[in-house]
Amino acid sequence: MLRYSATKLIMKQITDQPVVSNLGPTSDELWHASKRDRNFYTYGSMGLCSSIALGMAVAIEQKVIALDGDGSTLMNLGALGTVGRIMPSNLIIVVWDNEKWAQTGYQPSHTAYGTDLEAVAKATGINKTKTVTNEEDLDLVFSQALEEPGPWYIVAKIEEQEYLPVAPVEPEATLHRFRSTFVTEQERIG
Amino acid sequence: MDWDQTIASVLKNEEIAIISYVPDINIHKVTKLLDEDPYFQLISASREEEAIGIASGAYAVGKKSAVFMQSSGFGNSINAIASLNIPARLPIPIFINLRGEYGEFNIAQVTMGQSTKPILDVLGLPHYTLENDLDLEKKVTGAIRLCYSSHEPLAICLTPLLHGGKNA
Repeated sequence: MLRYSATKLIMKQITDQPVVSNLGPTSDELWHASKRDRNFYTYGSMGLCSSIALGMAVAIEQKVIALDGDGSTLMNLGALGTVGRIMPSNLIIVVWDNEKWAQTGYQPSHTAYGTDLEAVAKATGINKTKTVTNEEDLDLVFSQALEEPGPWYIVAKIEEQEYLPVAPVEPEATLHRFRSTFVTEQERIG
Repeated sequence: MDWDQTIASVLKNEEIAIISYVPDINIHKVTKLLDEDPYFQLISASREEEAIGIASGAYAVGKKSAVFMQSSGFGNSINAIASLNIPARLPIPIFINLRGEYGEFNIAQVTMGQSTKPILDVLGLPHYTLENDLDLEKKVTGAIRLCYSSHEPLAICLTPLLHGGKNA
């Protein structure tokens, strides 16, 4: 499964839910797949994608989607414990697991050596979990995740592909566009 | 009103309802009050940069949020602040209990504690230090308002002169 194609599949099911994307190609590909104001592209802060989505999920009732990565998840594994403790029913975490730190030279990550992120999520108490290896299964479980209360933790095994051009998703512009869909003009400056 | 009650009351007045934190014995005086008050949603994180991420997510969807941590944990948060909050101009009031100050008993707390304000200076972030009850409500309220109007994170440092410190 390729991440860009899988991203497009997910975005076909999204209506107005906020989507937070991990730094690097995950954010670039989200922008190329779907240029919308409710995409929160991260540019840095590796390891915080799911934490940012968790902060959104506790603040609003709508479903919130995180598109995270295996390397980033491993950087802050405790964040999964926080999700398991709070159990926000409106949070969906999708992890693009390519079993490597692709951006830094394709070094194998711990998931290439047996770390099972779905099992880690389960061990924190999250019971809506799934590992998928093809688009059909991803499509199915993601539509279930949008319908049924979570939190959901979906590990999507992907192959790394050629990168798309870097997307123009600078942090200040992203926050401004994204937040403006939740607050009024007057609230925005407050 | 004690210092901890003043901080809790200012947070409520400023409509900051979502608080993420990593425990600290002095900060506990405030977080315990917040936990007992249904107005607040208190989120316990496993690491301080995670708390920054959670608070930032809440702000992004239009809810004000603050973070509580110890100075040692500020060390764990620097990249989050430098690569998320500063470039995105995403304001979060960060309450930092400064270890390594008057009466510190633990040598391992001294370097990070004493480095916290210089690091904030290097990051270009405003910070205020609370050392007594004098004008506490005005100071905390003013710092929080400045944080939001300047669209950048701001630190409010708590010290043993304010709360008595940790003795063992």
